[in-house]
Amino acid sequence: MRRVELAVVGAGPAGLSAAIEAARHGVEVVVFDENQRPGGQLFKQIHKFFGSKEHRARERGFRIGEDLLKEARELNVTVELETVVSGIYDGLELVVTKNDRVEHLRANAVVIATGASENMIPFPGWTLPGVIGAGAAQTMCNLHGVKPGKNILMVGSGNVGVVVGLQLIQAGCSLEAVIDASPRVGGYGVHAAKIARTGVPFHLRHTIKEVYGKDRVEGAVIVEVDEKWQPVPGSEKDLKVDTVCMAVGLSPMYQLSKIAGCETVEDPSRGGVVPICDEYGATTVPGIYVAGDVSGIEEASSAMIGGKIAGASAALKQGYLAQDVFEERYAAFRKSLEQLRQGQFGHGMKGKKITHTQEGIEVSESLLCRGFVDESEILRFPGIPSEEIRMRGLTPVIECTQNIPCDPCREACVKGCIRIGESITDLPSLSKEVQCTGCGMCVAACPGQAIFLLNQNYSDGEALVVLPYEFQPLPEAGDEGTACDRSGNPVGKAKVLKVQKAKTMDGTAVLSMIVPRELAMTARFFRPSGSEERRA
Amino acid sequence: MRIKNHPILGEFDKGRTVAFSYNGAPMTGCEGEPIAAALRANDVIIHRYTSKEHKPRGIFCAIGRCTDCVMIVNGKPNVRTCVTPLEEGMTVETQYGLLTQEEAEAKGAVL
Repeated sequence: MRRVELAVVGAGPAGLSAAIEAARHGVEVVVFDENQRPGGQLFKQIHKFFGSKEHRARERGFRIGEDLLKEARELNVTVELETVVSGIYDGLELVVTKNDRVEHLRANAVVIATGASENMIPFPGWTLPGVIGAGAAQTMCNLHGVKPGKNILMVGSGNVGVVVGLQLIQAGCSLEAVIDASPRVGGYGVHAAKIARTGVPFHLRHTIKEVYGKDRVEGAVIVEVDEKWQPVPGSEKDLKVDTVCMAVGLSPMYQLSKIAGCETVEDPSRGGVVPICDEYGATTVPGIYVAGDVSGIEEASSAMIGGKIAGASAALKQGYLAQDVFEERYAAFRKSLEQLRQGQFGHGMKGKKITHTQEGIEVSESLLCRGFVDESEILRFPGIPSEEIRMRGLTPVIECTQNIPCDPCREACVKGCIRIGESITDLPSLSKEVQCTGCGMCVAACPGQAIFLLNQNYSDGEALVVLPYEFQPLPEAGDEGTACDRSGNPVGKAKVLKVQKAKTMDGTAVLSMIVPRELAMTARFFRPSGSEERRA
Repeated sequence: MRIKNHPILGEFDKGRTVAFSYNGAPMTGCEGEPIAAALRANDVIIHRYTSKEHKPRGIFCAIGRCTDCVMIVNGKPNVRTCVTPLEEGMTVETQYGLLTQEEAEAKGAVL
């Protein structure tokens, strides 16, 4: 029987990170994955990640995936693709199926990193072709380059719903609405704001009543729900869509750990049934570790750290790592993980109503209920300069209003204009003396696309607004169009002054537009003339 | 339905264009892409009908997990089209119900 020192099941961010960490200490590692390509869901993540530099913030997921594969190759990690681990039995014996052929092998240690699967909610018409998982939409758009549909309804406003919603627009689809039965947007407000300003309405407290169509989706009826989650009669809206994307949560894929004899527990805060594990990822079966979404639904950034912890633990167990070296590495991983779990979206915060930020500022109700910060609320946040400063010349305007673990803006400004306190979840603020050169690096660096540059005194009666832009066709200098507010409503005329693109901006264009001065704090999106007007 | 000039990903690096057949009709797709992606690009979204109620089904998860998108491919039933790469000359057919290989052959699936 074949013998391996460490078998990793799943070549996603957690599995690859576990393999890399263990291999770094000399462990011989084999990673099994049922797919044709490694990387798990990383290669469909085309948005910039949050966090700090050590969490690879402001890098797009697919680039992180490429780097992980390169690292794994350099460390001689074997990745066996199209290989299904269908069972793990006594003595860490794995049953592995490849090309309809079954093999048994024995491992000294196993890391289970099987990830998660998408949830579904049933409703009349839920099985019609055209009702798809949000992950499926992302796979079709970002991996295969095919639009999943033309007119799309997104069900669910968590991070998956709002991130995939934006990616559908980037793919050229028309996102008709985002709905959620909850009264508040579940995902990061900045993600929601990116799509709200393109004109996509958010219908909170709405659920799907039915999807209709003869043999494929022809439309969807949504309905408002009351405090008791009951439909409000007469509040139905008929949306002409050909595709309905379901982003209603993920469930850990614990099944393999269960076969292996690991004890499981139902833990709603981790997304459902999960294998019981300690802080090192060790399950109740000696030698079996878990990492990533299978041990609790989180972001890919935390999955990678969880993977490293499990990989180091497996190396320690086999004597490849001295106890003190392990302790040192573990402490660093733990610290990094704790950072990501801070803030209002952190551990144990799910479902809690936040009324004030860490700084004691009242949160934006509009952001939670409509997906964008209302102009009347924005001035109270620390990243917004006073009118005096805005009239003095170019300055960043940082519309970051929630305590999210993220700090790339601080480093992006070469002049040190942007400050973040002790904790990376602190809201960014501006230094007293703003010396903005207009380089646009902070605008492009912000994964939330929440930083703008503004010169309210650009010329007599005009203001200059600089904003991040990730859509095609990319406008050019001289183009005329419409300035839209944070909800996507047209508010006036705009003219493009320039469009900056740079390798370091990694696909985020920085667009400067000239608008009437009174729109300086209103205009936050540019719509080229001739592009389709969105329904309000 | 194919995405041209994506703002982040640019042009997609797809395989060469190949011919395949869908229920006997000629179609083209990109070699190596999932059969389901090629069908979607040709506006085909019904992959199979259920055995008891004869209800249509299409892509749901697109990562080979849910099996809603299975079809008869080169005469083999229950093929997950979302994770099976398109090859030149493939025959792809709508599947009715759950089939064994023998049933598929008996129904004349191999065109």
